[in-house]
Amino acid sequence: MSVSFTLVLGGALILVLLTVILWSTRNKQKKPVPRHVPMVTREEFAEELATPVTFPPQPAAKPDMPVIPWNYGKDRMTLMVRDPNWLFAYWEISATKQQEFSNNFGHDAWNNSRSVLRVYDVTGVESFNGSNANDFTDISINDYVDSRHIDMERPNSTFCVDLGRLFPDGTFITLLRSNIVQTPSIAVSNLLDEEWMWIEGIYRTLTRLHMGSSPMVTEEIGRGMGLIPLGISSPGLRNRKN
Amino acid sequence: MGKGYLCFVLHAHLPFVRHPEHEHFLEERWLYEAITETYVPLIDAFDELVEENIPFRVTISLSPPLMTMLTDGLLQERYLKHLDKSIKLAEKETARTKDTVFYPTALMYRDRLYRIRYLFAEKYHRNIIYAFKKLQDYGRLEVITCAGTHGFLPLLINHPEAVRAQIGVAVDLYAKYFGHKPPGIWLPECAYTYGIDNLLKEFEIKYFFTDTHGVLFASHRPKYGIYAPIFCPTGVAVFGRDIESSKQVWSSNEGYPGDLDYREYYRDIGHDLPYDYIEPYIHPDGIRVNTGIKYFRVTGKDCEKQPYCRENALRKTDIHAGNFLFNREHQIAHLNSLMDREPIIVAPYDAELFGHWWFEGPDWLKQVLRKVHYDFPNIETATPQDYLKKYPCNQVATPCPSTWGNNGYNEVWLCRENDWVYRHLHIIADKMTELVENNSSANGLKQRALNQAARELLLAQSSDWAFIMYTGTMVEYAIRRTKQHVQNFLRLYEQIKSKNIDEGMLNDLEYKNNIFPDININYYKKITGQVFSATG
Repeated sequence: MSVSFTLVLGGALILVLLTVILWSTRNKQKKPVPRHVPMVTREEFAEELATPVTFPPQPAAKPDMPVIPWNYGKDRMTLMVRDPNWLFAYWEISATKQQEFSNNFGHDAWNNSRSVLRVYDVTGVESFNGSNANDFTDISINDYVDSRHIDMERPNSTFCVDLGRLFPDGTFITLLRSNIVQTPSIAVSNLLDEEWMWIEGIYRTLTRLHMGSSPMVTEEIGRGMGLIPLGISSPGLRNRKN
Repeated sequence: MGKGYLCFVLHAHLPFVRHPEHEHFLEERWLYEAITETYVPLIDAFDELVEENIPFRVTISLSPPLMTMLTDGLLQERYLKHLDKSIKLAEKETARTKDTVFYPTALMYRDRLYRIRYLFAEKYHRNIIYAFKKLQDYGRLEVITCAGTHGFLPLLINHPEAVRAQIGVAVDLYAKYFGHKPPGIWLPECAYTYGIDNLLKEFEIKYFFTDTHGVLFASHRPKYGIYAPIFCPTGVAVFGRDIESSKQVWSSNEGYPGDLDYREYYRDIGHDLPYDYIEPYIHPDGIRVNTGIKYFRVTGKDCEKQPYCRENALRKTDIHAGNFLFNREHQIAHLNSLMDREPIIVAPYDAELFGHWWFEGPDWLKQVLRKVHYDFPNIETATPQDYLKKYPCNQVATPCPSTWGNNGYNEVWLCRENDWVYRHLHIIADKMTELVENNSSANGLKQRALNQAARELLLAQSSDWAFIMYTGTMVEYAIRRTKQHVQNFLRLYEQIKSKNIDEGMLNDLEYKNNIFPDININYYKKITGQVFSATG
């Protein structure tokens, strides 16, 4: 009797244990797995930044962060100007486009070539057709990145970027072409207006007072602006101490 | 001695932070703080000058989200509740500080809040826009507009329809409240790039502003530097920011606001007083926030903060007003020795600098405007329109793309922390144009869905979100807002395309995101050809 009781108890214990173990495994399986391909890294990074670090007591639970797609199933490449020296490009390339490339250049073509950003200087070029640029710079990139900050250091110049595949023999095949952008100037214009001849004294005043050794008038102003973020950013000021 | 013109520009803006779903939304407090500390005190200062019969001219831009929030019944109601709570706290503070050195300051806050309540609720019947309109009708203010939701236009211009809509909806909203089109615009973040003026011209906007180098680096080289406007080839006038006058007010080191007698921003009793005492006046979740009651003066760096003395601070505003004008007088005299016409000195500031950050700012401005009239015959305040009337003939030159952000270009709004937003903002702008082109004769539910899609697009485009991501504070809110509006847009887009509009969801979005009730989505119609051809 007591043996069978022990057996029953033992069986029950094992059952309970099993349930617990199985349950926890099941829960583990339910843990979200990353649904995206590595391209999403940038977005994850942005969410990491979102951890509220501002105030000690945590506010009531917030609704989930809205989920938006990373890719939109469209072949596209956009070029933007960050400042006189830097450009920024982002792109999206569909599976169809990759397939098309393989169909045209062979099955191994993708693996035999590497991803390259070709940055064309098209300053003064009337109508850019891919072969009439002043010059170009190639930037090797990983297959999985889909944006890039590009340091050109060419103010007052016009650019266009291709994303393409470069073969060992130097052949470059364009997959995507960007819009055309122009970087701003960092100095006073050399173009003079005869009817409105510039007054040197005014420019000398400005140089003497603020340009200093730097050609950038904005450096001084920029610092002031950046340090006092006003308006909407004002709540952030709370956390700064003198 | 020749004369010169001083052109003050105040840019008033807050992002659309209306959250009907939640009574105590942290971000709504930005609006309440700005009403109490900046907008009403500025109006009070201007009104006082009007009563003294002092002529003055100040340009002020009111962003559409701010105008919408200031005229929103729900927010007005909530603001009054907030204000009443502040008054209760101020009353309590007079008891707590009795017989201490802080007592006079506590009394000052209490009286001040009662006055703000009177001005807001009784004199202006909760409608601050009306106060600005009245000051414009009196010939004191020139009110201008700003882009629809403060979109950062240079980074949206590759979809010119989106930029046209940002400008178009702003012009329409302005006309609704002021009865005519805005004469000028403050470009969000003072950000200009090629092509924007083409779109401004479409709406008969006569002028905008750039940072110093926007005009100084223009091509051809401007004759007068930044001391006279230039005309874009489109005929829209551009005024460049003056460096000297900006620095005196802006600079955190040399600027007036850092004076030792002025009020210290960071020592707020919302953070300093024991939790039990302050708890009813901070956020219900226990989050300590600014209450606006601060008892210390700047004092100096790395030393114990000393009590604030209102009289000393006001004396300083007087001294600083005199100093500011003395410097302008010299600047003008120097410029007059070089120029063959009277110079204009353009001094733009964020309106919220005055009062909110620099507590004594509105008093300083009042003193400046008073002194100009009485003591400085060679300086006259003027708006861009005044100057253009006097000097209608100006040099034609193309401004240089520029902003007033850190280092003068786009890096604040296009950096590693926020560059991801553009791949969404651009494609949804594209999709909006597609929707408008394909549904030209929509009505009823579909029209409502199209209108709401445009509102969601506009709200996603606020430059504020990218800015907050850059600064690294309150980032989650900015990411959430961006993603939420993108998601709302994409849902509406799919529903419109599949002819399966979820009316419940639409009702909800219309209720929550109710900016631009009369939106004209035709601004998103395809623009054929380029607004600007960047071929060098």
